[in-house]
Amino acid sequence: ATAVDQAVGMSLVVFSLVLFTYYSVWVIVLPFVARDHILHNYFLPREYSVILPGVAAIVVLICILWKNRKPKKVD
Amino acid sequence: MTKLVEWLVGVTVVLVGWAVVSFDLLDLRLPDTYREVAWPMPLYLLVSFGCYSLATVGYRVATFNDCEEAARELQEQIKEAKEDLRKKGLKM
Repeated sequence: ATAVDQAVGMSLVVFSLVLFTYYSVWVIVLPFVARDHILHNYFLPREYSVILPGVAAIVVLICILWKNRKPKKVD
Repeated sequence: MTKLVEWLVGVTVVLVGWAVVSFDLLDLRLPDTYREVAWPMPLYLLVSFGCYSLATVGYRVATFNDCEEAARELQEQIKEAKEDLRKKGLKM
């Protein structure tokens, strides 16, 4: 793989690892941590852990549909 | 029992378990923290699967086995073939 390919590939891996870790802490660890612990300052309110993936999924769907739009056939 | 039926049964069991815990359908009165962790589970599994897919794609792009010599050789052969055909009269 070329250097650019390796850079892109590795950055994808790092990005997904970071995202997975942050999301896991947000969803699974935080409910067990005391309300006044500073860790909570690094995370958005819990509702966003559902809203943000939902919005992201809709945006991705719209992008895919937009890229695949084909003009109607004229008979 | 087809694979589809097996899958549907498995998925239903998991979904029912999740619903019972999340919405307290059997009045089990579980501690609130467990309910708070349980209810985003389907979405969490989806996000995890997305991250895993993204990481796999990235990793395989980074470790893809380029054969640079073979690629160059192929380009040479394409040039030769085009020359040959041009000499024989094929218009390109």
